[in-house]
Amino acid sequence: MKKILVLSLLAVFGVYLAEVLFKIDFGHQFFLNGVKDFYLTASPDKLKVANVVTSIVVNFRGFDTLGEVTVLFLATTAMSSILYKGRHKLGERAVLFSSSRIVMTGSKLLFPAIILLGVYVFVHGHLTPGGGFQGGVIIATGFLLMLLSYQDYQVSHVVLSVVESLAGITFASIGLIGLLNGGTFLHNFLHTGVLNNLLSGGVIPIIYIAVGFKVGAELTGLIYTALNEKD
Amino acid sequence: MEFKLFDLSIVEYAFFVTSVLIILIGLYAALVKKTLIKIVIGLSILDAGINLLLISIGYLKAGTAPIFSPALVKNMPLTLENIKKLSEGMVDPVPQALVLTAIVIGFGVTAVALSLVIRLYRHHHTLNIDEIKNLKW
Amino acid sequence: MVGSPVLFIAIPLLAAFLIPLLGFVWKESVRILPGLVLLYLLYLSLTLMEQVVHTGTIVEVIAGWAPPWGINLVFSPLTGLLTTLMILMGFIIWIYSYRFKNIDFQEAVKYFILLLMLITGSVGIVLTGDIFNQFVFIEITSISAYALTAFYKGRDSAEASFKYLMIGSLSSMFLLLAIALIYSQLGTLNMADIAAKAHLMKPEFKILALIFFITGLGIEAEIFPLNGWAPDAYAQAPGPIGAAFSGIVVKAGVYAMIRVMFTLFDVAGTHQFLIVIGIITLIIAEMSAVRQEHLKRMLAYSSIGQMGLVIVAFGIGTEEGVFAALFLMLNHAIIKSLLFLSGSYLVYHSTGKYISEVDGIARNLPITSFLFALGSIAIVGMPPFAGFWSKWSMLTAAAHSNLILIIGLVLSVSLIELVYYFRVLNRIYFFPKKKEVVVKKPTINALLAMGLLGLLILIIGFYPDSVTGYLHAASQSLLDKGKYIHDVLSTGQLLLP
Repeated sequence: MKKILVLSLLAVFGVYLAEVLFKIDFGHQFFLNGVKDFYLTASPDKLKVANVVTSIVVNFRGFDTLGEVTVLFLATTAMSSILYKGRHKLGERAVLFSSSRIVMTGSKLLFPAIILLGVYVFVHGHLTPGGGFQGGVIIATGFLLMLLSYQDYQVSHVVLSVVESLAGITFASIGLIGLLNGGTFLHNFLHTGVLNNLLSGGVIPIIYIAVGFKVGAELTGLIYTALNEKD
Repeated sequence: MEFKLFDLSIVEYAFFVTSVLIILIGLYAALVKKTLIKIVIGLSILDAGINLLLISIGYLKAGTAPIFSPALVKNMPLTLENIKKLSEGMVDPVPQALVLTAIVIGFGVTAVALSLVIRLYRHHHTLNIDEIKNLKW
Repeated sequence: MVGSPVLFIAIPLLAAFLIPLLGFVWKESVRILPGLVLLYLLYLSLTLMEQVVHTGTIVEVIAGWAPPWGINLVFSPLTGLLTTLMILMGFIIWIYSYRFKNIDFQEAVKYFILLLMLITGSVGIVLTGDIFNQFVFIEITSISAYALTAFYKGRDSAEASFKYLMIGSLSSMFLLLAIALIYSQLGTLNMADIAAKAHLMKPEFKILALIFFITGLGIEAEIFPLNGWAPDAYAQAPGPIGAAFSGIVVKAGVYAMIRVMFTLFDVAGTHQFLIVIGIITLIIAEMSAVRQEHLKRMLAYSSIGQMGLVIVAFGIGTEEGVFAALFLMLNHAIIKSLLFLSGSYLVYHSTGKYISEVDGIARNLPITSFLFALGSIAIVGMPPFAGFWSKWSMLTAAAHSNLILIIGLVLSVSLIELVYYFRVLNRIYFFPKKKEVVVKKPTINALLAMGLLGLLILIIGFYPDSVTGYLHAASQSLLDKGKYIHDVLSTGQLLLP
């Protein structure tokens, strides 16, 4: 009975939503004087950042990203505050995977390559698709691989939280230095360089590298907390 | 040499239809399902649907990625006019940036939700929402 | 730039990232640092508030990009008032919970990070001038709130928190949908820009976006169908967090909703809608409050009811109505926090938190009981305490708009409140004490925090003029939509070459 009620309600909602959405002229520019035209010109022209999405994420709407990084930081804090009571000793995790020697050797070989890929992605965030979040996630998958294939693989909680805090502090302090230097928070106070050079975009690559470290550390911390939590 | 099929309007709106369907599936799972894990999955599906909707709002027909890569610029002097000309063929970058933020936030909420599910399972030894009723629902 | 509004966000974030590091060096600093941050921000907000009332709104631009391209923070008399209020409440809650989790250091670190972020997120919701940025701050607030609700592991707190999370994340999805709809029509996310261009939106988009906004923001504002989480969350969360919910988070939610309705769109009938939804919320919540056996659930329902009253007052729509609504919000933040803080000592060791367990407790806890009684009398609206003036201004606002129904409603609701608060007071003072009830003496810092709140109630009660000037400025700035748009968008012309 409840199912039918919910289904019919959802059907009405969906039809109405779709009907409204059909009024959008799909695949065309339909609004005038939107903010996007400004971003598309100012990013290569003023910031010298080739990837416009990066310049929006880190500079034009950089405040969102600061909030977003905080959300991740809060998620790790929240998760450990909700779960944490005790931690397992070595090799007595809640979930145990037994892996063969092939898997173990293979992941050991893959691990540095994955980390390198992650670092590449977040260092080149202002030139190519990708950036701090994507790179951080790739790094965390490297650690996930190691945690899955080695039952006694350990990540130091102290190191993780130090990296996490330092990266967050870097982001916020760059913002505050911008406030002191240029009068506005997150002001781009370094030289912007030449478009498509690795060293271009002023503070944008620095912030994205900090974000990469932070996301990598936080996601690894989340996986580690979830794997090692104890009743 | 454009494909004739893509001129049909229904295909044009396939993105919207799909995202609305995904949103509905997610809402259905979140509202009706009895297992805590399935509810969390429903919320994630809902999140994905909305992200797809946001991305398709920014779509431009035959648009390129909003990246001024060397291959695109091709030694063109980057005057304001050239930039304007190049940017006319680019998709809207703003929804992409918003979706990046929304994905991360959705991930954070999912992580918190799953850790709550673990706590509830420890406490009640069940994932069925009907059996977890110490408080009024 | 000594006093920039962006510091309200930047400094707490910096502190929150710093707390885990400081914990390795000096453990006590984890407790001290949030207080220092909040004290500094309190000073900053008071000075900025003084400045804003005289010289006009400060619009702070982020990253040097003028609105509508960059994100901007708006410190107007209205947002400044709410910011000051939130930070003041945050500071008092910090004093109260200074010794929280005294033994378990790791837990204390998390508690203080989450508390600081709860306050910062709410301040961000109020200050920001960008709808997507507001969404991000709402998520910061909600995630801290979920975690703090589930903070005690012994109770059914995970259940309450999961319930809160389900409703919360569903409604934040609707918020995202609303943002998508607005972006698809106007191509902008800045509130002032949206307000200036709102007439360009197709009407069906406008209506749908407004509905999604109300669904998305109504959860924090605790309006009727979306407040199912509130009583459980208030009852299961630690005592100071209940105070933080009712004193800080709800205020941010109501502000966001009112901003959307008053500034973003000009849809006809929003005032009537506010009055109707407010009345429904009010009646259902007060009726439930009378029937509650749990002290904290009773306080939670009373809190929802008060927010309903605030929404009705906003719905009157005149300047007097908005003034009354803001006055109610201010008083409710102070008084309800006092009730939560003192109430959680009255039932400190009890597992069920039943009202019947406070029998005769006044003999053991004279000061706490006295402060609880002060809060109860003030919130019911008896002269000469703070609550009287806000209810009085609401009555005059309703009378001047010829809304007789609302006058009757306010009076009868006050009567209901009188019944259920005096039922508790009667038990505290005139019932014989039960032997098995164990009493917990409040710590010095808890007494200090509660005393401060009691003092504020007395000050506002005897000298209401000390706040009314700010409230008038705030209500004018909310209603003057043109000035808001002009203030924000003209900053752009100054910055552009």
